[in-house]
Amino acid sequence: MTEITLAAVDELAIRRAKKGDIEALERVYRAYVSTVYSLARRMCRTAEEAEEVLQETFLEVCKSMHKFRGTAPGMLTAWIKRVAASKALIRIRHEKYRDVEELDEDGGWAGTQDGDVGLRMDLETALSQLSDTSRAVVWLHDVEGYTHEEIAELMGKTVSFSKSQLSRAHARLRTALGEEARC
Amino acid sequence: MLRHCTIEELLELRDGEGSTAARSHLSSCEACRAELDRLHQRVAALKSLPSFTAPRDRWPVVIGAVVASRRRKRIARVGWTSLAAAAAIVLLIGVRSIPGSGPDVLAAQEVESLVEESQELEVLLQEHYREGRVVNVATAAAIADLEDRIALIDLGIERAQATTVTQDDMADLWRERVALMDQLVTTHVRPVTYVGY
Repeated sequence: MTEITLAAVDELAIRRAKKGDIEALERVYRAYVSTVYSLARRMCRTAEEAEEVLQETFLEVCKSMHKFRGTAPGMLTAWIKRVAASKALIRIRHEKYRDVEELDEDGGWAGTQDGDVGLRMDLETALSQLSDTSRAVVWLHDVEGYTHEEIAELMGKTVSFSKSQLSRAHARLRTALGEEARC
Repeated sequence: MLRHCTIEELLELRDGEGSTAARSHLSSCEACRAELDRLHQRVAALKSLPSFTAPRDRWPVVIGAVVASRRRKRIARVGWTSLAAAAAIVLLIGVRSIPGSGPDVLAAQEVESLVEESQELEVLLQEHYREGRVVNVATAAAIADLEDRIALIDLGIERAQATTVTQDDMADLWRERVALMDQLVTTHVRPVTYVGY
């Protein structure tokens, strides 16, 4: 199977995909599968959930592609990511019973490894210990560049909720990474 | 501001917001500037985390579901198309069963026979169709292509019923529909035959 890069999804392929052309839709899938899975994996707690989000996202993309306004690959990226984020948040909302912080208030875990790999591992672990909601907000805002207004709309919550979840996430990350709070 | 900035305030300052008091405090407080710097570093580290690769190819499942969805829509639409066609034929044969209208009646009878054949193929298709059955990507694409072409023919039949096309033209459309339906049934049946369990 040939690897299709983002660049391979040009305006023509997008136009064809909008008309329901199966081959063009597969090009879209191959081009965005990693982007969608990575986003889902960062937002969901398990790899299985991320796979479900991946599947639901592309099912929605294939069914609603004709509604997508525009033909620029950049716009398509933003639209597909938004669909994926929305699907992940729906899943998080349904799995609310698990939405608990695994760290105690004193910060029961702190980073101990050295170097970049150590820092990355520490950060991965710290992220995994956030609540699902806090992790989703910190990822969408700080990495994906969503505004609090956009996150609030996606989550069906208020802007204040998004801001407080972000603060909470950073407080937890700071503790988990063993960074001294000097303020 | 006498106290240090809270995380909320530092996040606001980072995002270009924040109160004048917080901004003023930051400019004079080394500890808060260091905290803001750590915040920037943390976000940079988050952004540099590696991406993931999906463990399994989900495309066959996705395309299978898309094809099934298209099929459900087509079945819902074709029910009405067949009924409308049958009613129009009965009316035409009834009205035109007078001397001098022979060829049109013959064409209408052919349409009637093709509609029946098409309906029989729909029944056959339903017998062989299983929701969620996994087919390979090439088969799914072939099915989707045939479904699309049938949907186009159905659209043509719907339009033809609303206008004054001849029964010969109508027979052409139904003949094409029957041929495509036949291919669709064959495509659905073939993988099952090959597996042979």
